[in-house]
Amino acid sequence: MGALSVSEFVDLMVGGLAIGCVYSLIALGFAMIMRATNIIHFAQGEVMMLGCMCGLTSVWLLPVLPLLLVVAVGMASSGIIALAMELAVYRTLRRRRVPIMNLITATVGMSILCINAARIIWGSEPLRFPELFATTAYEFGGVRISPQLFWIMVMGVAIMGALQLFLKHTRTGLAMQAVAQDPEAAQLMGANLTRMMAYTFAISGMMAGAAGIMLGSMFFAFFEMGFITGLKGFVAATLGGLGSITGAMLGGILFGLIETFSAVFLSSAYKDGIGMILLIAILLVFPSGLVGLWQRRR
Amino acid sequence: MTASFDPSARQRGAVHRVTLLVVAALIVLPWVEADKFALHILSLIAIASIAAMGLQVLLGYSGQLSIGQAAFYGIGAYTSALLTAKLGVPFPLALIGAGVAAAIASLLMVPITRLTGAYLAVATLGFSIIVYLFIQNEEWLTGGSYGFIGIPRAELFGYVLRDPMLSYYLNVGVAAIVYFTFARIEGSRFGRAINAIRQDADAARASGVRVTLLKSECFVIAAFVAGLAGSLYAHEVRYLAPNDFTFWKSIEILIMVVIGGVGSLAGAILGAAVVVGLPEYLRAIGDYRMLVFGAILIATMLFGEGGLAALCATLVRRVGEVSRRLALKLPPRNETAP
Repeated sequence: MGALSVSEFVDLMVGGLAIGCVYSLIALGFAMIMRATNIIHFAQGEVMMLGCMCGLTSVWLLPVLPLLLVVAVGMASSGIIALAMELAVYRTLRRRRVPIMNLITATVGMSILCINAARIIWGSEPLRFPELFATTAYEFGGVRISPQLFWIMVMGVAIMGALQLFLKHTRTGLAMQAVAQDPEAAQLMGANLTRMMAYTFAISGMMAGAAGIMLGSMFFAFFEMGFITGLKGFVAATLGGLGSITGAMLGGILFGLIETFSAVFLSSAYKDGIGMILLIAILLVFPSGLVGLWQRRR
Repeated sequence: MTASFDPSARQRGAVHRVTLLVVAALIVLPWVEADKFALHILSLIAIASIAAMGLQVLLGYSGQLSIGQAAFYGIGAYTSALLTAKLGVPFPLALIGAGVAAAIASLLMVPITRLTGAYLAVATLGFSIIVYLFIQNEEWLTGGSYGFIGIPRAELFGYVLRDPMLSYYLNVGVAAIVYFTFARIEGSRFGRAINAIRQDADAARASGVRVTLLKSECFVIAAFVAGLAGSLYAHEVRYLAPNDFTFWKSIEILIMVVIGGVGSLAGAILGAAVVVGLPEYLRAIGDYRMLVFGAILIATMLFGEGGLAALCATLVRRVGEVSRRLALKLPPRNETAP
């Protein structure tokens, strides 16, 4: 394939960054839950899908709803759903001290439950979002950018920034980090373990909900949408080094860019595969992800 | 782990008796239940249990989590289909060829066995997605999304297994061979070594166990039997589509192992029976069946720590206790009754 013009390159870059933001938000949820509980939360993609569906339903009910409120509805409903999963199932499982494989399998069960509940409630047809964004392209110094992708990037970065601020500068955020690092020591310092776990699930659910609205508005809302996207989020989290917040953000954006560019330059049929080959290659050289590389350099 | 039986001689005797009973029941079953569809489902359960037992060796014995077994299952299925349908290779050779092809493919994965936990899981997942995309896109070889049609029935020594009862015996027979082969691993030197790796890889290495080599061997063994299962599946169903070999299949195999009880070979078979059989059984409730399946899966995780194997072991022990108590009490009762 020949060289790209500047505007084509910018288009690809923006598209890759926007989808990368979606992966980052999902990867963040995976990483936070991984850090706090050591489980791979396979239902994370389904939490995202349910947030997308709830957001879409809110637009159906109130067509005048502005974009930010739709995102808020998606975040809130996903947060509540993830919290409910934690309170109803995962907490009980942890309390019974079941082996970690049982916990992971329970999240798979949760995922099956959510997919099929969504199919029964919203049907199995792909659903299109109404226009949430301005339709005329923005121009920055002669380069046209789709408002949808632009706002997805802005919102993604804003949400991730807000999360970083929350984790670094509030008591609750610091307590959550402490619990993730060393539960026993954190408890001795007065952090409430059970409550922090609940917060972790609620916040990772909210991240997934925002991702769901963004992804749904870019493509479709679909009961199976969470499945493959959730996997990609998990891969992105691993790419960044599982259990690292910054790593998950970078991993997601990197994965989005790799996927978009390899679809154009290498093969669109194998675009998912190229990301996976890269992932395996990176893991072979740096067995603990990109963050491991960075930490080694320091 | 928790599902292993008490190693006392009486317990072992009981296990042997139960195994004999199950084998006898499986041999007699087709004469009692001659329904073709039921036999087909039982065949599918046997095939699934082969793949599940492979993962049990990998996860339950050596402690490595793979969520990409569908890749090897798919490689086995398509290899066997290609060998018999396109090259006219006889079925028994194709069956072995499928296992060998999957094992060779797994050699590609040997470098990743030095990864652990979630990293290993993601790498196997990545591999299975690549294999799926290959099956989906290389139409000239696999038929792509149209599927692979015209796979001949299994035949043994020139005799085509047309009757579902005969293919039932084939599938259950291969499953039994895999079961009895793997059952010997547990007490062997190899079995003790991989058990040591699962419990503490560093300590095992310090004691002279060749950790990386043995971990890779487990990978190859699991891939080989997954390939066998794929071949049997290809000749049982005689139509292959890429969607049979998605990531979802890998998860199904994992669910079989966990629901049955991690570390228990018999558990893997029970798990396969539940995962394949239950949705068929729940067919009557239509759209809600996978909903119920998910709920049952979560409930099993909540209540059965060692999976179905442990549950059954407890049940057998309880029944044994009760019957022993009854046997002891019966004679005096008989004396006083008249």
